[in-house]
Amino acid sequence: MEFLLEINVEEMPSSHVRTAIEDLKERLAKELAAAKIAVASLAALSTCRRLILVGDFAAGQADREGLVTGPPKAAAYAPDGSPTPAALGFARSKGIDVAQLEIVTNERGEYVGFRTVEKGKPTAEVLSRAVPQAILSLSFPKMMRWGTGSMKFSRPVRNILCLFDGRSVPFEIDGLTAGNTTTGHKIRAPRSVRPASFAEYKAALREALVIVDAEERRAMILAQIEALLAPLKAQLYPDPHLLHKLANDVECPFVFLGEFSEDYLSLPIEVLSTAMREGLKVFSVVRGAKQIPLFLGVADSPADAKGFIRKGNERVLKARLEDARFFWDHDIKTSLKKRAPALKHVLFQEKLGSYDDKTQRLKKIVAYLCGRADGEKIEKDAILAAELCKTDLVTDMVREFPSLQGKVGGLYARAEGLPETVAAAIYEHYLPMSLEDTSPASLAGALLSLADKLDSIVGVVGVGIQTTGSSDPFGLRRNAQGVCKIILDRKLNLSFPRLLDKVLAVYGERLKLPPKEITDYVSEFFANRLRYLHERQGIRYDLINAGLGGGFENILYVHLRIKALDALKASPQFEPFILMAKRVNNILTGQPAGSLNADLFVEKEERELYSAFSIVKENVAPMIAKGDFAQAQKMVFRLQPGLNAFFDKVLVMAKETKLRKNRLGLLQAIRKILVQMADYSQVVVEGEKAAGPR
Amino acid sequence: MSLQNLILNLQKFWADQGCYLAPTYDLEVGAGTMTPDTFFRVLGERPWKVAYVQPSRRPTDGRYGENPNRVQKHHQFQVIIKPSPANIQQIYIDSLTALGIDLRDHDLRFDEDDWESPTIGAWGVGWSVHLDGLEISQFTYFQQAGGLDVFPIPVEITYGIERLEMFLEEKDSIYDLQWSADVTYGDLRLEEERQFSDYNFNQATVKSLQEGFALAEKEAAQLLGKGLFLPAYDMCLKCSHAFNLLDARGAISVTERVKMIAQIRALVNQVATKFVGREGRG
Repeated sequence: MEFLLEINVEEMPSSHVRTAIEDLKERLAKELAAAKIAVASLAALSTCRRLILVGDFAAGQADREGLVTGPPKAAAYAPDGSPTPAALGFARSKGIDVAQLEIVTNERGEYVGFRTVEKGKPTAEVLSRAVPQAILSLSFPKMMRWGTGSMKFSRPVRNILCLFDGRSVPFEIDGLTAGNTTTGHKIRAPRSVRPASFAEYKAALREALVIVDAEERRAMILAQIEALLAPLKAQLYPDPHLLHKLANDVECPFVFLGEFSEDYLSLPIEVLSTAMREGLKVFSVVRGAKQIPLFLGVADSPADAKGFIRKGNERVLKARLEDARFFWDHDIKTSLKKRAPALKHVLFQEKLGSYDDKTQRLKKIVAYLCGRADGEKIEKDAILAAELCKTDLVTDMVREFPSLQGKVGGLYARAEGLPETVAAAIYEHYLPMSLEDTSPASLAGALLSLADKLDSIVGVVGVGIQTTGSSDPFGLRRNAQGVCKIILDRKLNLSFPRLLDKVLAVYGERLKLPPKEITDYVSEFFANRLRYLHERQGIRYDLINAGLGGGFENILYVHLRIKALDALKASPQFEPFILMAKRVNNILTGQPAGSLNADLFVEKEERELYSAFSIVKENVAPMIAKGDFAQAQKMVFRLQPGLNAFFDKVLVMAKETKLRKNRLGLLQAIRKILVQMADYSQVVVEGEKAAGPR
Repeated sequence: MSLQNLILNLQKFWADQGCYLAPTYDLEVGAGTMTPDTFFRVLGERPWKVAYVQPSRRPTDGRYGENPNRVQKHHQFQVIIKPSPANIQQIYIDSLTALGIDLRDHDLRFDEDDWESPTIGAWGVGWSVHLDGLEISQFTYFQQAGGLDVFPIPVEITYGIERLEMFLEEKDSIYDLQWSADVTYGDLRLEEERQFSDYNFNQATVKSLQEGFALAEKEAAQLLGKGLFLPAYDMCLKCSHAFNLLDARGAISVTERVKMIAQIRALVNQVATKFVGREGRG
């Protein structure tokens, strides 16, 4: 039977809507599962003013059959078949007639008892408790209260419609009674709507200028854009984030095409599109890679018959572009170099000093990175880029449009004729902004970005600011992911501990926590980020942990280890080998260090294992040094037959000390190779589970 | 059509909604939110409805009268209603209709914009309201003021008078607005913007401002000691304005900024605590 819920809220931020509607769906599904109500379907829809669930549920809980067992049959009936006081007493205590008792058999024998049938509750009754519970359990990054109520939500909740099988489900939240009506578009069709089904709801709201499905609104926006731009042979400057926001923010999307004066085209496209997006939340229009003097806005309206909406937006955009052009013309009068001293007055972080302090650190870290990542040729330019990369923070343009930081610095550097390497490095040094974003294309940009991010991470950790749960005020997670992405994209072979030591050394006395504590925390932090990055790629968690367990000396190598495990996991040699590696580990647990002497081998199998080991050791070393863990891994598989025979035939824990120590020594030497590959003890093996103790 | 008509219309509309019309406060403030008619009305339990015009001074926004959109002093029409009514968005929409705007021809949007004033320890949740892309109002459900949770929850609606009038008159420059039928905004304010921009950015004596800040701060502390939280609050406003001027003069370093804001906030918090204690909340 059909379920329909609409929570009517004053305009919610798009980020809140997205998570709230999914959470709501999940929580209600959980409540229904707990109440044993069959759910055939449950879907979520939304606008900025409505959280909507529509589902198909069973009419009620299934009836529950039970069995109540009483005294043994022998004690319940006299030999003549009449009930004894025990049976009478039992029946009385359960409030049933003694004639209703029957014989039940269980593993202990025959007893008397009776069957019960508990009528399942109707779904509507369950919903009247489950729905408010699910609504009240929602949480948002920022919660508010309103009026005199006690409820907390993203924005004030004004109406709730809840129907099951066409009838309203009665409940109340904080003084608000759920009913069977809602209203249409707030401005255009603010009339009451009383649907009996989802089909009616959807149709009536469409009539009242509300499209309830965000996907449909998105498609409408894109179709209207296409219709406007196709005849002009122009394209939208893509901005998925803005599109998502606008598809959320309007209930009735109408796309309008506006114009601005060609005079503003002298501004770079980055500035124009930012002024449009952030100043006015409209899209830029391009032809090829060239901005043309048009923009696209999305109104919450069926039309713009009188052109007021377009004209109003054009006027606001003109003021915005006028400002932007003023900032541009004004900013380029002062060179970036001349701006550098002003960074002394811009705070990076209270305990970490100003952006000038940060700049001085970046120069040193970048110089270090150039020396270790084949950047000798660009070192001079990279250091100059480090010196200037933060100076755009003191330009009017960035003060007005903070999201342009970095990019504007690069554009100004280019405009004032600095080398292209410098301009590009400044332009790119905040990249990647997310995991979907690209890494800097230039080496100088990549190294500067690494330096900037590592400086922030080590510094913020070093003054004792913890990143926990949703609290990540300095975006350290994003920064750390950016570091990993750059290192992996460019395949940078960098010693991670040495890099951290360098950043710590550059900070000097400023960081209050002990260096060891900082590096431990940062390493663990990065390990978690790597875990996350690889889980996103669908790699098994146990393989990730095993790869991470192989040592954290180099982010690229950790990644290659994990990839090698992932690539070889299906190989027939893999699981037997893992089991063998675990066996080696187990036998060595708690054993003192052995000593390896080839002359002391007695058995053929240990001699053969030793020679296999020697070959593998020699071959594997250069592979590991190169980071070719897949080859190295295959190479160590070759130890398998030797180890098998060894464990079959040779007694490791020999009575004679010399022999025992020598055998332990051999296994320890083998383990030394294995631990460079992975921590195999973390790998979960199917065969192991089956063979394990029950 | 004129700016003063707009003010008269808003006053009439909100007086009809039961607001008392407060006189403009006679101290320099950065926003209508800071005057006692908002600050002391949102604290405490007693329901209030108030509306008033408040000139708002933001020295760093001065552009010597050369920018058609930015001025170092503009006017806000401030409305506080506590507790916030369930249909307050509709009432606000009606207020726009009452100004003669036929919203069916326009695009009215409530765009996520949470407001916060660290100086007076206040924050709220709400929107900036845009009409055909132009920001005409801030709409905020107060959650905290003076560092204290507020309850019942007040709603604050702040109309940007000049912005709204530019919309109504379809003008591109603030100075072309009609203040009354035969007086323009430029007639009244252009010279003021030129002179005050020069004063704010170049002429204000840093040392006097610093001393003024220190004196007002000391006075506020003393007054608080005597339980006189109302004059103490005035002293906080004086501190805040001195701070804004020092900021425009570029005379506040990063660390000083944090420190001075914290100083004012601490005083305002004491004012709020004393006020609520006196009102006997709870």
